[in-house]
Amino acid sequence: MIMSLNLFQIITLAVLGCLLMTTIAAMVRRWVTRREGVVWSLVWLVAGVAIVWPAAIGVVAGLLGIGRGADLLIYCAVVVMMCGFMMVYVRLRHLRRDMTVLVRELAIRDAHTNLEPAASETAKDFSP
Amino acid sequence: MTDEAKEQIRPVPPDVREDLFVVIAAFNEVASIEPVAREVRAMFPNVVVVDDGSTDGTLDVARRSAKYVLRHVINRGQGAALQTGIEFALRHGARFILTFDADGQHRVEDIPAMLEPIWRGECEITLGSRFLGKAVNIPSTRRNLLRLAVLFTKIVNRVKLTDAHNGLRAFSRRAAETIHITMDRMAHASELIDQIRLSGLPFREVPVEIRYTVYSLAKGQSSRGALRIVWQYLLGRVFQ
Repeated sequence: MIMSLNLFQIITLAVLGCLLMTTIAAMVRRWVTRREGVVWSLVWLVAGVAIVWPAAIGVVAGLLGIGRGADLLIYCAVVVMMCGFMMVYVRLRHLRRDMTVLVRELAIRDAHTNLEPAASETAKDFSP
Repeated sequence: MTDEAKEQIRPVPPDVREDLFVVIAAFNEVASIEPVAREVRAMFPNVVVVDDGSTDGTLDVARRSAKYVLRHVINRGQGAALQTGIEFALRHGARFILTFDADGQHRVEDIPAMLEPIWRGECEITLGSRFLGKAVNIPSTRRNLLRLAVLFTKIVNRVKLTDAHNGLRAFSRRAAETIHITMDRMAHASELIDQIRLSGLPFREVPVEIRYTVYSLAKGQSSRGALRIVWQYLLGRVFQ
């Protein structure tokens, strides 16, 4: 099915190609774990297929009982975005907790001690 | 102090007094922190004020009155500040730790009664209760809000208490080492109750008096604030 590609498809494929190369390079240099690299490579490949052959999305949507390919894309985008928000939120919570630990350690390390004795320290026979 | 109040104060053994650390978390409490810290320190030497990133000069005032002053360089919330004070106290050899509010609503005279069951070895934790004791000038909306909080504690935390959200609490060293507040903001009160239940540490409620003043009321929780706390607590439980 060699067909003529429109301008949008050419540009997008070029970008996806660059992303795929970068991902593979990053994987080879161990900047990302093998699993992360494979997952991202698959994402770029699937996107490439969908760009070259848009009808494929419609076929998958039909299998899932969703009318149109565009609807499937929107649903997927929403799910991915929700997961993204969730992951960022969880990370934010961890970050806040780490920040508290750091602030706490600083506070304890730099504690100010008041050497001027209070009444409760000078009175020997103190009884409340 | 009235004569009647004087009679109620129980003696505190000197070694307990020496080994007690009173932790006061303060956020923008410049008007009240000095008298509160001085009043506590007149009776108990080891007063730890944790200034939770105040912007109103609380830090300088606290340094004049408390024995130890710690500063959070960034505001982290009351739960975080209390945990900081507790850790500091533990590292300085505290055998007893008591938390006390900075707004002047607690009475120093209630501290001995809070400590007694712990130093006598009858329990590891005491929680102050204004409904076993006296709540002076408590507005009806505040009373109802606190009743709701008690109900919440009964259902969600599965612990029956008469006053779930009183800042006056005392811990043995063992209890303070076991408990670790991770909910930084106000939901720590509910988290604490969860931890007490899970740890199985014996606790007791002690009647205390709360003085409601214009100042302490302004510093306390509104109904909307209470809802926010419930939300924070539930989020905290989900994302532990």
